[in-house]
Amino acid sequence: MAGASTDRPDTQVRELYEQAESRTAQAFEELVSKPSFGVLLARSAENVAAIARIGSDFADLVLRNLRLAGRADVTRLARQLHGTEDKLERLLQEVEKLRDELARGASANGTSADGSPGAAADALPRRTREPS
Amino acid sequence: MNAIETLAGLPRATFEFANVILTIPDAAIGQTPRDVVWTHRGTTLYRYRSSRREHAIPVLLVFALINRPEIFDLRRGSSFVEFLLTEGFDVFLVDWGIPDEEDSEMGLAEFVCDELHWAVRETLRACGEEELSLLGWCIGGTLCAIYCALHPTGAVRNAVLLTTPIDPSGSLYARWVGHDEFDVDLVAERYRAVPGTGIDWANKLMKPVTNYTTTYRRLFQSILDGGDPRLSYQAMAKWVGDTPPFPSRAYREWITWLYKENRLVAGRVRLRSDRVDLARIEQNLLVVTAGADHIAPPEGTVPLLDLVSSEDVTHLDRPGGHIGLMAGSKAKHEIWPELADWLRDRSGH
Repeated sequence: MAGASTDRPDTQVRELYEQAESRTAQAFEELVSKPSFGVLLARSAENVAAIARIGSDFADLVLRNLRLAGRADVTRLARQLHGTEDKLERLLQEVEKLRDELARGASANGTSADGSPGAAADALPRRTREPS
Repeated sequence: MNAIETLAGLPRATFEFANVILTIPDAAIGQTPRDVVWTHRGTTLYRYRSSRREHAIPVLLVFALINRPEIFDLRRGSSFVEFLLTEGFDVFLVDWGIPDEEDSEMGLAEFVCDELHWAVRETLRACGEEELSLLGWCIGGTLCAIYCALHPTGAVRNAVLLTTPIDPSGSLYARWVGHDEFDVDLVAERYRAVPGTGIDWANKLMKPVTNYTTTYRRLFQSILDGGDPRLSYQAMAKWVGDTPPFPSRAYREWITWLYKENRLVAGRVRLRSDRVDLARIEQNLLVVTAGADHIAPPEGTVPLLDLVSSEDVTHLDRPGGHIGLMAGSKAKHEIWPELADWLRDRSGH
């Protein structure tokens, strides 16, 4: 039965195609692993990068001359926001560190940082947000 | 199915094939319920909801800087996150977000010393523990290895590194970008955020026929044979196609330090003046390599085993590809239970 199945024309065509595909795949993998292909890829990446940059700079120039905010302006603003966020994060970490130290000290004394007994254990978790 | 039946089924299969391809964006991936624990810039730390946390030590998942971390939670019934939750782990995930030009100054130091370090801190705060397990995949694994080397006595008790490039000098990537002809500074300077589509294209070009022809042919054939590959194919195709940009500084450092100068194994990477010495890794270590991995071949990972100082080192070399090892159809029954067993034995108080 198995022999009859492989003798069928559609099965034979499929097998032939798969063999051809497999050989082609191997040939292409050998091709892309050659150093010369790496050089070609490097040149292509540089050319595409250069064209993309020229296009982006030109579009930005047009927008700026129209007194509209371009990509560069948005990026600059975003960087300023990031800088502020970095400072806030570090400040928050310091505050949390101090709060933890206070809570630990208070819990060693049997009271909490805010003076109410037992509340010290609630000091650690923070900022769990709503599901996204 | 005889030849006539095959011919008769062609129109239906063609329509079905087209529909599967065209509706890839509608596929639902990353569906396991989760909460945002912490955010900073584009980075978000998630905690997955669970009613059966049995192991004290939480697991923090770290994915690469290319593609999105949804591969950990691909689809219901085929999700590593879901599996870990079922096994009783407290699961966290750090998502690097979608960087853009304003993130061009983010280098490996920012990812390891700030984002990952703070994500570890927030994970511990959220679960009230003092230690955790880090599980990194691909570049995420390299970032975890660097982190462990910088903090050998820190909060990481267990480190799991999946298909992680450590010494990629013999890889195809090194042949492409490791030579002087590839001016990584020029590319990084001109792009600021290296497009993910370009990196995806390069990844696929490593096996061009397999990625651009065989995948589609197999899908068509499966449909023609009466199979229903829609869910599995679409989930993976959607994930593969979601390629965020790579911040240019991190890209420049990654290519230069690993592929051009192979600094990591030589101990010549410095992050904010701290030398990354892999010999300082003392954590319990599980290294997983995939035999058919063409992106991070096993021979580029195993040198780590001889470098680290960890007393508890396990190496699993399994058949499979870079992604297929963890996200393939067999992963659920093969590698995931092995990872869970390894973690379980090291996740108690």
